[in-house]
Amino acid sequence: MRQLGLGLTMAAAGLAMALQTARADEELPIGVIAAQSGSFVSAGNTIVGAANLAAQQINDAGGIKVGDKTYKIKLYIRDNRTDVNVSIAAARELVNDIGVKAIWGTETHDFSVSMAKITGPAKVLQFSGNSSLGAVLDDKAVAEGGWLHYTFQSEPQEWQRSGSTAKGVLSLLTPQLKSPPKHSVVFVGNDATGQYLSSHYVKALEAEGQKVDLVQYPPDTTDFSPLLTRIKGMKPDIVHFWYNGDSTLTAFPQALKLGVAPSYFLFGVDPGIYQERSLKADVPVTMSCVPVCWGSSPYPEVKQYFDKYFGLGAAKGPQSSVSLLYYDYFFWYAKALEKVGKIDDPDAVVAELLKSDYKGVVSPVPLVFNKHHQVTFATEVCMVEPNTSDKFKCAVEQPPAAPPPGDNGG
Amino acid sequence: MDIFVQQLVNSLSVASVTILIGIGITLIFGLAGIVNFAHGEFLMVGGMATWFMVGAGMNFFVALVLAGLLVGALGFAAERCLFRFTLNRPMNGFIMSIGLSVILQHAVIRVFNEFQKSITDPVGLVWTIGGVDIIAMRAIVVAVTAVIVAITYFGISRSRYGMALRASVSDRDTAELMGIPVRRYVTGVFIYGSLLAGIGGALMISLFPITPFTGSVIIIRGFAVSLIGGLGNVGGAVVGGLVLGLVDGLSAGYGYPEWTDAYSLVVMILILVLRPQGLLGGTLGRKAS
Repeated sequence: MRQLGLGLTMAAAGLAMALQTARADEELPIGVIAAQSGSFVSAGNTIVGAANLAAQQINDAGGIKVGDKTYKIKLYIRDNRTDVNVSIAAARELVNDIGVKAIWGTETHDFSVSMAKITGPAKVLQFSGNSSLGAVLDDKAVAEGGWLHYTFQSEPQEWQRSGSTAKGVLSLLTPQLKSPPKHSVVFVGNDATGQYLSSHYVKALEAEGQKVDLVQYPPDTTDFSPLLTRIKGMKPDIVHFWYNGDSTLTAFPQALKLGVAPSYFLFGVDPGIYQERSLKADVPVTMSCVPVCWGSSPYPEVKQYFDKYFGLGAAKGPQSSVSLLYYDYFFWYAKALEKVGKIDDPDAVVAELLKSDYKGVVSPVPLVFNKHHQVTFATEVCMVEPNTSDKFKCAVEQPPAAPPPGDNGG
Repeated sequence: MDIFVQQLVNSLSVASVTILIGIGITLIFGLAGIVNFAHGEFLMVGGMATWFMVGAGMNFFVALVLAGLLVGALGFAAERCLFRFTLNRPMNGFIMSIGLSVILQHAVIRVFNEFQKSITDPVGLVWTIGGVDIIAMRAIVVAVTAVIVAITYFGISRSRYGMALRASVSDRDTAELMGIPVRRYVTGVFIYGSLLAGIGGALMISLFPITPFTGSVIIIRGFAVSLIGGLGNVGGAVVGGLVLGLVDGLSAGYGYPEWTDAYSLVVMILILVLRPQGLLGGTLGRKAS
């Protein structure tokens, strides 16, 4: 009787181990590093939201069929606490201890570059939505053996985004003004990202014939009135609030009260937020989103996406649309794995991503990575009718074919 | 000229919010001896509470009073449960307050969310006088601050309570021997300073949106104001706030705009090097000299 009991126990243990092994074989570990606390939390939460939605949809659809096995995505989400050191520690843990096959994140250039120095040598794929990566993604860095060979930029190059944005803003505002706008002031936060992004946007505006003044404000500014008064004294035709949606939402109402300019552009402010906050201006106001607006979706797929995204409990904020810089790439990566037939051949997956395309939600045109591992897609710019909060006219602008004069593209 | 006058007008309203938080800090730090780094988060909680109440349909000015009372109650709880145990070990209190500030930030994120909050301008008027735009709500902020400053100043300098408080700061043991309930006075100062932070938060959200992280930015300015004026000196906090407000406004208007924060901090360093006790002197000044 004792022997029977022992045999049954061993059999049960063996079955449990076999089941455990089978389950482990079917798990595809993917890391997500994003700010769930600290000052980048509003962008960081969108990465987590996109990852959760994509993983749920892929798993619910049966998982990823790679060779003769089916894998379910298991997300390992780590809060970088808006701290580069925590991002590095999280990347080390995910790569060395957990053995993730790919990492999604993170919100800002410096953090993503630091992570790439860990994911690169470990041959772990990294998808980062920072247009500023264009400064480091060059021929040498992305070549086999290069430190960014496994890193992909899931946002268009900044000269492309700046070019399409400048064109869209001017084409929407020009008919609204008494005379064609000639003088623009770009108002931007003075941090690394703001400096990088505005350097391209200023060139893009100049290429459209604008005389441009750049006014930088210290990050975390809340009272913009002294700087806006200064800008008012410059007598601009358009004030472009560039880069940080939260700061823009603080500065813009102050600008309206001070009557700073006859027209405005708000970068990173979604029409949905403009409407929710009941913002109103007696002058024409344009806005664009990174990458596509949730409050005024240009495509049915985008509307469906945001319905599902918000349905999972994600908050509606100025940066909610950033989630679309991350969502599509889960499906594209899964497609590449299925094509390669192995999950342990990152070089083959990189090669497959570079030669394949993917028709995602973010763009009606299939996404393609260029030789520097960067995607290209159009920018949506919307204009709200004066004295309304909800009457938008939107246009989708394609990026220019080449960087403007004076912009080296990096 | 219009632009210059506009800059001066702008500076006044911002200086007002800074003065309010500066007075709270100068009372709590200078008179009660507690370094409360979470004071900025108290202001943020006041702003968030105002946002919530106004969003629920309450009149802004009623919400302002309730926000002050709520944050005063929060200050009472913090003093009773935390800071009273650190009165003899200020460094412990300082570190504890940093922890409290992070906890409050994330509690607000948990209860609401991480996005910035704003309310519609409660007054919504802009007066144009001689080419200068005066935003009515900013003028109200200046007026409310002036009333609070007057009440606080006369309360500290003229009332029996204020005299007893100043006696406690000068010589705590003697004050206790004379029957002054020093501990209770410390609690009272902490509650009053917190109440001012709550009102400051309500006034702030009437001008600018706030986020759960607003407090960590404004606290630096609050300490700068109280040190420039002289710790424990209400008049000093007013002078400190005006100095910083004017430096901010004029440097943003006429200097390198991206250095705006640096200008005011350079002025603070210069003042503290030349007058360690602050412009008008304070409790720390007496000890330092």
